[in-house]
Amino acid sequence: MTTLTAEGLRKLVGEWMAAGKVCVGPVRVAAGTVLFTRLASAEDLMLDGWLRPANSIKELVLPRHEPLYGYRADRNRIELLDPPEAVPERIAICAHPCDAAALPILDKVFNWDYRDEAYNRRREATTVITLACTASDAECFCTSVGLGPDAERGSDAMLNDNGDGTFAVRTLTDKGRAALGASEARGSRTNPPPARFDAKQVGQYAAEHFDDPFWREHSLACVGCGACAFTCPVCHCFDIVDERNGHDGMRARNWDACQFPLFTLHASGHNPRHTQGDRQRQRIYHKFHMYPEKFGETLCTGCGNCARNCPVGLGVLPLVTEIPHAEPVQA
Amino acid sequence: MSGTDAFSPKIVAYVCNWCTYLGADLAGTARLEYPPNVRIIRLPCTGRIDTNMVVKAFEVGADAVLVSGCHPGDCHYTAGNYHARRRWMLFRDLLDVVGFDMRRIHFSWISAAEGRKFQQVITEITEQTQALGPYRPYEAVPSRPLADARGSVQSRDRQGAVASSPAQTKLRETAARLLSEGAVKVVIGYGARGPVFVTHSEDAARLVWNETCFANLTGYLKRKEVGALGKPAVVVKGCDERALVVLEKESQVGRAAVYTIGMACAGMGQPKCAACDTHEPRFANETIASDGAPEAAPVDRYAALDALFAKSPEERLAFWTAEFDRCLKCYACRQVCPMCYCERCLADKNRPQAIDTSPHRQGNFAWHLSRAIHLAGRCVGCDECTRACPAGLDLRLLNLALARAAETKFGYRAGMDPAVEPLVGAYSLTDKEEFIQ
Repeated sequence: MTTLTAEGLRKLVGEWMAAGKVCVGPVRVAAGTVLFTRLASAEDLMLDGWLRPANSIKELVLPRHEPLYGYRADRNRIELLDPPEAVPERIAICAHPCDAAALPILDKVFNWDYRDEAYNRRREATTVITLACTASDAECFCTSVGLGPDAERGSDAMLNDNGDGTFAVRTLTDKGRAALGASEARGSRTNPPPARFDAKQVGQYAAEHFDDPFWREHSLACVGCGACAFTCPVCHCFDIVDERNGHDGMRARNWDACQFPLFTLHASGHNPRHTQGDRQRQRIYHKFHMYPEKFGETLCTGCGNCARNCPVGLGVLPLVTEIPHAEPVQA
Repeated sequence: MSGTDAFSPKIVAYVCNWCTYLGADLAGTARLEYPPNVRIIRLPCTGRIDTNMVVKAFEVGADAVLVSGCHPGDCHYTAGNYHARRRWMLFRDLLDVVGFDMRRIHFSWISAAEGRKFQQVITEITEQTQALGPYRPYEAVPSRPLADARGSVQSRDRQGAVASSPAQTKLRETAARLLSEGAVKVVIGYGARGPVFVTHSEDAARLVWNETCFANLTGYLKRKEVGALGKPAVVVKGCDERALVVLEKESQVGRAAVYTIGMACAGMGQPKCAACDTHEPRFANETIASDGAPEAAPVDRYAALDALFAKSPEERLAFWTAEFDRCLKCYACRQVCPMCYCERCLADKNRPQAIDTSPHRQGNFAWHLSRAIHLAGRCVGCDECTRACPAGLDLRLLNLALARAAETKFGYRAGMDPAVEPLVGAYSLTDKEEFIQ
């Protein structure tokens, strides 16, 4: 199908759900909050009225909490319990290009020196149907990190809103074709944000100004929560915890964030990143220097979630635009 | 009903070492029979019984919990049970707003001489719990949002008009004066995007005063990096100032060490503003007059709670389950809270692990109950937690429930009167105890 109507899309979603697929899309979960959430019905899917959900589709491949295995102790016997192997097929609907592009970026770190089974199992079971952006706000900066409002990277299919209640459909991978059939239609309505900074300069600055007072001075407002990292499509740090309740317990993988003081606290009591400035620097350094050096690309898709979710007005964009000489190179 | 007959409830009894434990001992030596369903956990004093332990008991499989200690006046540490009683009064209201089954949690005073009372209480609780059936763990609760009582819309808009106003001009002048005179080293105020820390008088123009200044900046007074800048001045609205009153009462901030620039405020259009009765800062070193008149007269502070309490406990529990299921454990609620100044939070301690760190239902319930009860009688209702939450959890409802408990039961509102002793930390012989057996 080359075009889909809104009703047609909902009908398809209903069919996928009936076939046992888990469908995830933007849902208004509270008066002021839209989140990517598992759809309870096709009617919950919000096709407009939002710019970007406050979270990302990262959770489909890296859940905030993932039991790795469990155990049960019974007198002198300990029984190990494997987590469920099968992951149901999942379809993300109306992800934005800044969400979709996160998946190939994450693939690299989860398949580098060790192939992360849990990640890959989920990744393989996930189909991403992206909705190209027709609007951007002051926090959006995809164009500054090599993406754009209709960038295809990571998407299995791309929908373009034609503005008349229909969507042009372009399928890009076998997964996308399996969901929507082969189609090559292209829409034209996009509204890219202007280039806001030069990502290379940012990485270079972070590397060359590791101990610069810049970081401390620009992080005074940071309260040290994980709202930026947890709503970021590509932040992927995790913690392994053992949890015990009575005779049962589990080892689980939970999200962790570099803005927490505990993230780097040593058992000795020493903390190599002992101020919030050190932690903010780490976030920028990792995204714009460490990851590009190791994997050849920026660990940021320019979605702006960090800035939108920060309770005190920080985030990648507000911080890096303060960096001297990070202005975008004029063509 | 063979199913009911087969159910043998597990009852956890947290008892104090000096009275109830000896009462249980007496029941034993006197050969008084009582159901073997109770697991007794002996603690020094009821004052030591953290509400987390009650939550934990249910997590690990208790069907009912009893907390029991010495009769009023009999505490071996003079007043441990009076402190405990006050905490229970608040804790019960918190459990109630969450929709917890209140028939599963019991409190009693049992002395060392009351073996027979111990026998009776345990028998009654066992029979009652048997009739209720097994406790339903969080995982089995259906999550259901409330269609009509959902969500306080907190403004997140930071791109507000930075119009020039007389109050803003006055604020900038004041900041520049304080900095150039050397009276303070840093002015903590509102900037165009969020908090700013102005250290030079020529930068005073970074300060703004407009309808986006709804954050509470007093939490920064406790942050090391900010403290390192030298003596601070902080911009406070009447509501924010209440946090300063509590911080001073808790010996966290010396008012002499802080210069407060009060901003009379007509309201910022936030949910908290609708019922505001502290438009004017009361204790600021200087106060800058408001450009507008306050909005309509104060309405019922707890109106949002009434909508929730109109629902059944089951519906309330389903609502909170839906809310907590969205929690990411990013701890933004804690980090922005001016009252959450602990150097190391209970949630970050792992020996022992009081609260599961995982953001699953159990861990999220434990976290939010713990956060709320630790703020009982301390939360000033600035709603920073709710504003900061990226997942839109309506945390203010938990705070409101405890604020209402404090006001209706003790006539106490946090941060209103610097002369009054803190609610938790003080006690009264006349605290109401009709819920204690």
